[in-house]
Amino acid sequence: MAEKEIIIGNQLSQLEIVANALESLSDEWNLSMNVSLNLNLVLEELITNIIFYGYDDTNEHLIRILLSYHDSVVQIQLEDDGKAFNPLLYAEPNIDLSIENRKIGGLGIHFVRKIMDEIIYSRLNNKNILTMTKNIA
Amino acid sequence: MEIKKSKIGSFWVINLTGRLDTSNYGELEKSLIDLIDSGEKELAVDCSGLVYISSSGLRVFLMALKKITQSAGKFHLCCLQNNIHEIFEIAGFTSIFKIFNTVDEALK
Repeated sequence: MAEKEIIIGNQLSQLEIVANALESLSDEWNLSMNVSLNLNLVLEELITNIIFYGYDDTNEHLIRILLSYHDSVVQIQLEDDGKAFNPLLYAEPNIDLSIENRKIGGLGIHFVRKIMDEIIYSRLNNKNILTMTKNIA
Repeated sequence: MEIKKSKIGSFWVINLTGRLDTSNYGELEKSLIDLIDSGEKELAVDCSGLVYISSSGLRVFLMALKKITQSAGKFHLCCLQNNIHEIFEIAGFTSIFKIFNTVDEALK
């Protein structure tokens, strides 16, 4: 089993570190461009949410990303010490509305749900832990 | 991301290259709003060089579409790579945007 840990701070500029790490990991693990970009999207949406809504203070916080790959399954574990937030309880946006009624927003978590096959949320030791898997066989 | 604008016939063509994400969506938002606010009503975004988009980027497209629709103009997209098209489908955007296969088709 291959594993990679990425630890970033709670600033949007750190998303570039995630994108670059995923790019080199995709080479290493031979992931297709499509899978790599989809995993990047999932992480960007979740990390952006954590940075925007997760903290009440202005302190530096760390966000931990653990990626692993085994038997054609990629697992992502995302851990943050922000406010308790279970994205699985977040209402699905209505994507069938007309232009006038479509809301600008709410799509991020929708992408996560559609792209990943399994998502498990837990709150442990004041941390949000999101464990997600995607079968890429 | 690189943004290039050119006028072809009655359309402004906005050519995007690279990644459109949380870190840079503001640049595209400003480019589009500048054009729309100055009265331009026919825009076509050429996405042939766009390799990645997140919800921040999609929000900019939706904002522009809403604004242009209000003034009875046209906001066309063309040349989406497969990865990008898939994201548009998941978002339900393929049914609300006019998406064309070539720049020529998008300029009508």
